[in-house]
Amino acid sequence: MGPKIKAQPQAVAEPAIPVEYRTVKDKLEAEYLESRPYEVLKAKKGFGGMSAAEKSAYANYIFLETGVWKNWAASQQKDFWALVEKQKIPLPLPKPQPLGKDFRGRDLETYTPQEYQEYQKKQTRLRQLEAESKRWREIHIDGDERIEEFEEEESQEVEKQRRKEIGDLRGKAMGRYESDPTWDDVKPIPQDDGEGALAQIAYTDEYSEAMGYLRAIMAANEHTPRVLGLTEHIIGMNAAHYTVWLYRASTLFALNSSIAEELKWLNEVALVNQKNYQIWHHRQLLIDQLYTTISSSPSDLEELAKSELDFMMQMFAEDSKNYHVWSYRQYLVRKLDLFSSAPELASVEALLREDVRNNSAWSHRFFIVFSNPSYCTPTSKATEPDPAIPAIVIDRELNFAKAATFEAPQNQSPWNYLRGVLRKADRKLSTEEEFASQFVQDLEEDTVDIKSSHALDFLADVWEETGEVKKADRALTLLGDTFDRVRKNYWEWRRKALKKD
Amino acid sequence: MSLVSGPGRAGETSGSLPDELQLTIEPHVRYIQSLDSRRDELEYWLTEHLRLNGLYWGLMALHLMGRPDALPRDETINFVLSCQHENGGFGAAPGHDAHMLYTVSAVQILAMIDALDELERRGKGRALVGSYIAGLQNTRTGTFAGDEFGEEDTRFLYGALNALSLLHMMDAVNVNKAVDYIVSCANFDGGYGVSPGAESHSGQIFTCLAALSIAKRIDLVDVDKLGRWLSERQVECGGLNGRPEKAEDVCYSWWVASSLAMIGRLHWIDGDKLKEFILRCQVCSVSADNSTEINARQDTKMGGFADRPGDMVDVFHTAFGLGGLSLLSFPDLEEVDPV
Ligand SMILES: [Zn+2]
Repeated sequence: MGPKIKAQPQAVAEPAIPVEYRTVKDKLEAEYLESRPYEVLKAKKGFGGMSAAEKSAYANYIFLETGVWKNWAASQQKDFWALVEKQKIPLPLPKPQPLGKDFRGRDLETYTPQEYQEYQKKQTRLRQLEAESKRWREIHIDGDERIEEFEEEESQEVEKQRRKEIGDLRGKAMGRYESDPTWDDVKPIPQDDGEGALAQIAYTDEYSEAMGYLRAIMAANEHTPRVLGLTEHIIGMNAAHYTVWLYRASTLFALNSSIAEELKWLNEVALVNQKNYQIWHHRQLLIDQLYTTISSSPSDLEELAKSELDFMMQMFAEDSKNYHVWSYRQYLVRKLDLFSSAPELASVEALLREDVRNNSAWSHRFFIVFSNPSYCTPTSKATEPDPAIPAIVIDRELNFAKAATFEAPQNQSPWNYLRGVLRKADRKLSTEEEFASQFVQDLEEDTVDIKSSHALDFLADVWEETGEVKKADRALTLLGDTFDRVRKNYWEWRRKALKKD
Repeated sequence: MSLVSGPGRAGETSGSLPDELQLTIEPHVRYIQSLDSRRDELEYWLTEHLRLNGLYWGLMALHLMGRPDALPRDETINFVLSCQHENGGFGAAPGHDAHMLYTVSAVQILAMIDALDELERRGKGRALVGSYIAGLQNTRTGTFAGDEFGEEDTRFLYGALNALSLLHMMDAVNVNKAVDYIVSCANFDGGYGVSPGAESHSGQIFTCLAALSIAKRIDLVDVDKLGRWLSERQVECGGLNGRPEKAEDVCYSWWVASSLAMIGRLHWIDGDKLKEFILRCQVCSVSADNSTEINARQDTKMGGFADRPGDMVDVFHTAFGLGGLSLLSFPDLEEVDPV
């Protein structure tokens, strides 16, 4: 049996070798434990296992921790502190609290101690910048001009940089307007939905900020150049907000801004917002305004007509049936009196050559040909005959429509057009019986061959007109039973009407 | 109040259609209710300019399904009144300018939930709303503008007459002149456009007919010629389009079918084929490829209708789809007044 090894007295404090902590949390935990050596010792040995000296030190540590010594008499406190010093009991640190998260949502406790130190430095810098920026705003906005002059050397550019840095340090850039000192005089008005859950509206930050500034601008009834930039920004995010368009228009007019510039910008917006109609209303307002300034100059008007046509054709290249564009085109034809304009008719013809099924183009053609004030009766409606229309125009249009039916016999647009022209001319449908018959062979036979149900429909009307009821009945029966079964009920109704006549 | 599109695509249940196309009310009710809880989505604020409009169509859908109480009445009234301006008109949402379209929606909503009295009690008064609308009539032509900037559209004319008749204030405007204006919008093909000379369009035809029927002047319409044009809107798949050579769309089930109903020609189209088309545009359940955040929140099936099978559902097409089915006297749906 070897000599009984006497337990070495436990060292109270570990020698201070520098330790690399993985995280700041580890470091704080370690420091916490280091400040409680006797607590650690007790946990290791148990109270019974500690020496008398250790027990005494432990008791003093407990007094320190709980703070009971504060209630003791002065002499007793003096003895206590002498003992604490003698026993080298460190002051126990408070339990480490959660450090929270950084702007990315990362737990700060997972930082390395160096990273954490950096982080704290940045936070200090941030608070300093925020204080400086706050002061800058106070000086520059709250309008003490003496101070403004006095601190002139700090330009807007410096402050702009400062706000950028604040954004970087916060990990979230300031909004476009908040970060721009030229907007400091505007206090954005947040969305006010009143009460009630139905009304709360969430925005993306960028849109919401811009709208906040616009509300403030509108409340102050400000019409300055920067409003154009602001509304352009908002329209770029949401072109359907009609209030923004209206305010932009009133600002443009108040500033007497260049309409040509605005039209150029508007073209771009229209091309990316095909379905938007506010754009076209805005355009009408611009043209109305522009017209007052150029109406006495034929060359300016001609140039405007040309550039508008060019742009509309660009729109039609995307969607040749865009209803907003066509409605605008009718407005423009009236406004600039383009009824007899050669390029106007030529361009409609070109669109129809490209796509003979383009009902919008057919409709526009009817409009320019049969509302032309140079020969039409001004009060004549689209649905009634107008004896003032020259026969040469009627024949031209009939031929145009008929040629198109050969190209696409099963397309209803030219057939409708043909009927419309005949009505304008007050001619009977039977005047075109021969033409329509070319699409129908062997009507009475089983071998009946129909190239166009619209031709058959047309002929049914012709024969009703001429009293050839049997043929009309045959045509309508064929339509309902064979060529257009979806609308069987319609054709049946026509057949019954035939019997009544 | 929301509206807007999605979530969910129509007719995508396992790739093929159920053998029997059916209408189950509850998912559609839930869809309308859910719209307001989607404020965190981009789409929500992009469509803010339609908010009051969307609320109207959402309520309309709920009424058709016999569930008018599915949206809280008080909140609805509060929201509507919060859109009102000093001049009596309403904007699409708080902070939006007053506009004819939303003023009409506001009146329609209040009328639908029997709350027009609230205009007197908490709003700016019935008379002021009426005079806002009346002030937008173009005394020269008879038509109506949408706002003080003067954009004109037969939609505004119809809206004005509709709202004024609900307010019992028809004599505040020149109805005869308005009627003359509509007559001047009639086209050679029998249809009506947005303004004189503009192409015939199913939506505009609806507004013109509805305005004429409010004015009790349907007699001015060439009903057979118009009925012919409208019935030509039915395409092979059973759906209806808005103009020749355009794609079919559920909203035209409403605009075209209700127009045909107003002139007594609804039977000219194939009702069964149309019903089938509309039913194919509904979302039957949450499909697998659509596991968005929203669907994760919803443990139940969601409904809604899209413009055509496979597209995103939205509140407008949901109302139009249900409206179309109701016109075609679909069981389980309340009967609808085409105007
Ligand atoms: Zn649609």
